[in-house]
Amino acid sequence: MAEPTAPGMLHGDSPGLRLARRSLVLVALCIVLLPFADLSVVAHDPWAELSRMATGLALPHWRELSSPLQAIGLTVSVALWGTLLGVLLGFPLALVFFRSRLVRTGCAFVRAIHELFWALLFLQVFGFSAVTALAALAVPYAGIFAKVYAEILEQTPRDAADSLPPGVGRLSRFVYAELPLAWERLAAYTRYRFECSLRASVLLGFVGLPTLGFHLESAFREGHYHQAGALLWLFYLLIGTIGVWGHRRLLPLLAFASLFLLGPWPHVDGDLLWRFLSHDLWPAPLLNGDWAGLIAWLGDIPDLGPAIGNTLLLGLMGTVGALVIALLLWPLASRHFGNPATRLGGRALLVGLRSTPELMLAFIFLLLLGPSMLPAWLALALHNGALIAFLAARHADSLEPGMPGLSASGRYAYELLPRLYPGLLALVFYRAEVIIRETALLGMLGVATLGFHIDSSFQYLMFDQAFFLLLVTAGLNIAVDALARRYRPREVVMDDPCSR
Amino acid sequence: MSDAELLSLAGEDVGHGSQVVLPRLSLTLRTGERIALLGQSGAGKSTLLATLRRRLDTDAAWCPQSHGLVPQLAVYHNVYMGRLERHSALANLWNLIRPDRRAWTEIETLCGELGLAGLLRRPVARLSGGQRQRVAIARALYQQRRLFLGDEPVASVDPHQALRLLALIDARHDTSVVALHQRELALSHFDRVWGLRDGRLVLDATTDTLTLDDLDRLYPDADAASSASADETAHG
Repeated sequence: MAEPTAPGMLHGDSPGLRLARRSLVLVALCIVLLPFADLSVVAHDPWAELSRMATGLALPHWRELSSPLQAIGLTVSVALWGTLLGVLLGFPLALVFFRSRLVRTGCAFVRAIHELFWALLFLQVFGFSAVTALAALAVPYAGIFAKVYAEILEQTPRDAADSLPPGVGRLSRFVYAELPLAWERLAAYTRYRFECSLRASVLLGFVGLPTLGFHLESAFREGHYHQAGALLWLFYLLIGTIGVWGHRRLLPLLAFASLFLLGPWPHVDGDLLWRFLSHDLWPAPLLNGDWAGLIAWLGDIPDLGPAIGNTLLLGLMGTVGALVIALLLWPLASRHFGNPATRLGGRALLVGLRSTPELMLAFIFLLLLGPSMLPAWLALALHNGALIAFLAARHADSLEPGMPGLSASGRYAYELLPRLYPGLLALVFYRAEVIIRETALLGMLGVATLGFHIDSSFQYLMFDQAFFLLLVTAGLNIAVDALARRYRPREVVMDDPCSR
Repeated sequence: MSDAELLSLAGEDVGHGSQVVLPRLSLTLRTGERIALLGQSGAGKSTLLATLRRRLDTDAAWCPQSHGLVPQLAVYHNVYMGRLERHSALANLWNLIRPDRRAWTEIETLCGELGLAGLLRRPVARLSGGQRQRVAIARALYQQRRLFLGDEPVASVDPHQALRLLALIDARHDTSVVALHQRELALSHFDRVWGLRDGRLVLDATTDTLTLDDLDRLYPDADAASSASADETAHG
């Protein structure tokens, strides 16, 4: 008689095993495709560079900063008004979001293009002005707000609205029985988005708008690491104290005051704007109805296939990397592990990685490791992994292990991870869309993704090509989002809109 | 006029959408009747009440089991919602910022009668369970209809208060249908009992012909308990 054997490691139909199989397939896919990625270290002496950077961060030279207050003022003003305009545009759209396919498609499209690419586009019309900066934030945020607000409003309990007497008008029902119930979540998400917009506003410096990022980029690029260190600390200080200066009661005052810090305002030439929209953005053969010419035009686009491949590959690597990093790092900030000192350190590490814009991280790694996919991968995995780890740790803190006295590894593997994992994986799948958007963005640092070609098309003033590539990028993002949504674990407890 | 028919179902399938919960249901509701609706949870009480509410439309004031309150809004606004449809959207909006004076006085009096005096400005989130229940009743009373439909409106208050609340409801409505789980209250305070069991109306009788034992038969768990005790005696 055969010995009774334990079932195979991954056999079975429990939800946990299904998720484990799904994750392992993702990881395996990433490992199989890894040889196609360019992961070489090109720099001569990364360690010397790293130690110089660390010295700069440890010993910042505050005196060398020229007009940091002005840069901070502009950064905050752009972030605040970009968010406010996004809310103004996005809120009405949220109300019709689930009823209009057109609105949903439009929102998916504007969301799919990163803030910096919108900035590059608006730059051509409005120059280095406040309008470019504000529009670059407000346009994609309108799409994001429309979607997330609509989802939040859809999840409000129906009881109150159902118990109203018959014949109550749509507006009255909304302001009495729907809006108050959703208010807290709407406000929390708006606050989170404001934090994102602060990071994005810093990044706008990378395309030349004079926010904090402008000074950061030039300090790093020119090797003034003490100055860069001071700017980075300023940035962390700004993010860290957001609860103080961005308090609910201070916001109206802040919004009013920051109106005066915005600028410069451009002189908009209507003819030029129209020419740009009606002519420059479109391939000439298309406008002339020359179909053969259009095919030739398409053929002239350099390396479209490899660019798409690299974008997808980096997106996959970033997603898997974020998953691994999140699994490794979340215990650092959780009350179930370590002592108060390690937890404080862990939390600081996670918040630091989460707050640093991924482009900035990639930029620093690029200076260290030289141009390849490696810096971009590290940046994506660390930033997104830390963000997910932070949320997972917070969720873990709300759990009470059923069996006291387990060893740390037992707590991790038997008590906490099984309860956290569906939520964690759902966050990773949500994040996949963000990661693929950022992947394109990292092209601006020279990684041969779609973003690289968009950036260079803009530089060569080939707007038709840049616009076409933007459309391809948007389509790719929408496809990846649909795929991620298809495989995302459902019915999870840790569904936090502040991860999107 | 006391036996004028308000509503009558004759062998109708009652449910949500295409899902039938109470097949071939027949019953009649007459003006002036006070009806207690009994049955264990899941027997279809809420479904029946929802159907009555739909049929009676603006004749019925409605007090749902979940209360349907908005915790973030003040007691005043929650009660005011009972007449939301009688004001323009603009007036309703303005009322959120600055309470309407007439509505305020009316609601103040009403809340005084329900033991909610001085709580008008307090958000419902900061009330106790019993207080919330009374706010839900206040909202139903504020609707000023001739008929009261309540899904367990006195479930989370003590027996004395339950009596007082039912008296208030009676004083302001000529007809009522109230789902309950207190059987004694059903017999002492209502004219008629509708009893649901397994999706059927198994009991439709005036309370003067009923005893507590008759009502017990509506609850299968009571059967099980009594047959179990019968077994005990048989074996013992």
